Amino acid sequence: MNRFESTKRMMLGGVASAIMLAAATLAGGACAQESGPIKIGLIYSKQGPGASIGQFLQRGSELAAQQAGMKALGRPIELIWLDENGPEGSQQNMQRLIDENKVVAVVGGNYSNSALAMMSVANRAKIPLILPGAAAREITGKDCSRYTFRTQATVPVQINGLMPYVQQVGKKVYFITPSYAFGQDIVKSARAGLPAIGATEIGSDEVPINTADYSSFILKIRQAKPDVVIGGLVGGDLSNFLKQWNEMGMKDKAPYAAVAVTDTDFWDVGPQASTGIFIKPWYYANSKNTAAEKKMIEDFQKKYGQPPSDKTWSGWIAMRALLESIEAAKSTKPQDIVTSLEKWKNTDGEFPFYFREWDHQLVRPAVIVKVKSNITDKWDFMDFLKYTSDTPESTEKAFGTKEEVGCKMPAL
Amino acid sequence: MLDILVSQTANGLVLGFIYVLIAVGLSITFGLLGVINFAHGAFFALGAYFGWQLFRWFGWSAVILAPPLVGLVGMALEATLIRRLYGKEPLLSLVVTFALALLIEALIRVIWGADGKPFNPPPFLAGIIEVGPLLITKYRAAVLGVTVATLLGLWAFLAWTPYGRVLRAGSRDPEMVELLGINLPRVLNAVFGLGCALAAIAGVLAAPLWTVSPSMSANAVMPAFVVIAIGGLGSLSGAVVAGLAVGVVTALTIQFWPEASAGAMYALMFAIMLLRPRGLFGEKWERFE
Repeated sequence: MNRFESTKRMMLGGVASAIMLAAATLAGGACAQESGPIKIGLIYSKQGPGASIGQFLQRGSELAAQQAGMKALGRPIELIWLDENGPEGSQQNMQRLIDENKVVAVVGGNYSNSALAMMSVANRAKIPLILPGAAAREITGKDCSRYTFRTQATVPVQINGLMPYVQQVGKKVYFITPSYAFGQDIVKSARAGLPAIGATEIGSDEVPINTADYSSFILKIRQAKPDVVIGGLVGGDLSNFLKQWNEMGMKDKAPYAAVAVTDTDFWDVGPQASTGIFIKPWYYANSKNTAAEKKMIEDFQKKYGQPPSDKTWSGWIAMRALLESIEAAKSTKPQDIVTSLEKWKNTDGEFPFYFREWDHQLVRPAVIVKVKSNITDKWDFMDFLKYTSDTPESTEKAFGTKEEVGCKMPAL
Repeated sequence: MLDILVSQTANGLVLGFIYVLIAVGLSITFGLLGVINFAHGAFFALGAYFGWQLFRWFGWSAVILAPPLVGLVGMALEATLIRRLYGKEPLLSLVVTFALALLIEALIRVIWGADGKPFNPPPFLAGIIEVGPLLITKYRAAVLGVTVATLLGLWAFLAWTPYGRVLRAGSRDPEMVELLGINLPRVLNAVFGLGCALAAIAGVLAAPLWTVSPSMSANAVMPAFVVIAIGGLGSLSGAVVAGLAVGVVTALTIQFWPEASAGAMYALMFAIMLLRPRGLFGEKWERFE
């Protein structure tokens, strides 16, 4: 054997060894993925006006995992929580969870603009994303995605639940909504419903998010003399508005009616400034809560010394749906999880709720609540009035037909 | 239409006074120490939280203690951290105080939690005053009174007291002041404490109007920077004029183009900067130019 042959053999041997080593590493990696912890990403606000909401969402998701023994498929669950800090930041964090943390799915996205940005990453990377908030209709409508599921009722469903109460109050309506997709959807949905209740619009203001002072907006509303104000301000913005609405003597002059609010908006301002009629996903002091929800309330109170907000429920049900779907799929492959989520059904209550297969929207009624006239409890500010719908048929109908929703669900 | 214009302008002036109070502490810290204090909003939030805590423990009268307490926190931070920034690049103070702002916000979150704290105007200041087209709440009228009194007191202190003269001299020629036998580090320490206490007064006054939450500093710090940029860095009278202008422009934008209201103050700043880069009342300072 000449020197050239020897070198060639050595090189071939080296390449073969490298290939074998790489194959062994890959096999080991796959093996580690199959046997290591199941990593699930959370994207909820950690800072800014949504921090309080983010904390309740995270606690709800964590509680669902803890109730499952922090295990799925017999393997430990690892939750990795990154910030929902605007569309760009949330999108980057979604990418980080997928690329660096190798999550099998993500639960998160409370704001419609962030959710839409995160959806594009989920779609590209083919990773399931369950949104516990984000009510803008296009998320499960024209922009629907095979990898995205949503638990919160769409804006049209919530607005339709609110309109009968608006009708009871008066005919002149003023809108004050946040200036992004969610707020624009509120105005669009409510405007469409005004003729049916014989009401007219007398003013509309889009408010930039993170507005601290609402006094000039309130002066405008005061001058317009509406019978009712329909809103959709969120988090710290709603708290600021309610405080100044009360300060400027409007609390008893024109009722405030809004969708997609959360308990912390009211706990943050206290009984003195809280007022209005609202649509929200869930309320802890609703006697119709299911046994599983009552257990969640009990566990939450034991852990944190206060009742859970509706955001806790949203984070909890989204994580529960994911974990139950992983168990049902007996797999952590994204496509298997998606297929399993499409078949997931919760049968705890009077009638089942589920993700609709053709738009991935959770078909479940929201609750209509009114702030008590005399609040005596530190946490219980609301009276439960009714659900937005009360039969399986009317609920399915409320969420719209394929033509109305406009989702063209892509293939896996 | 005239009624609503008058009403919005008056409301904008009241809002402007809140901005003035937030900005004036920042202006003093920069004007006298040469430090761009990005943590100013955090001291504003700290004032609101101290006020809320004192109210919970001892009632309304104790709220008055919040600004001096925040002032003491500021003095402690000046002695340990801020004084190392004197005479250095303004950019360095911006970076260090930005980190300080994040630290204070994180500490607020750890101590008081991420949720907001219910804090409304005291019952004796509840209600509104209506005179013709003008409407002002009793609480905002009280805020206006406290702000004007604070600004007058500050002006008198800086203009007419020996201590005020030392402060102004120290900001222009620190070596000469030290040669005169004055303990300048102690003076500068008090100035930083004063700037923080002024931020805290604004925080305490804003707490019943805005949500008391860890992120409330963001609502304060950006308007404050815009106000001092428009008014001229370090200029007290500039801060007053610019604060009122920002308040009125914001209120009128809400009336006619509400979607643009958040950007109105930045548009105003942009226009002023184009016409007069050092701000309306900004002087040419040999220290920085």
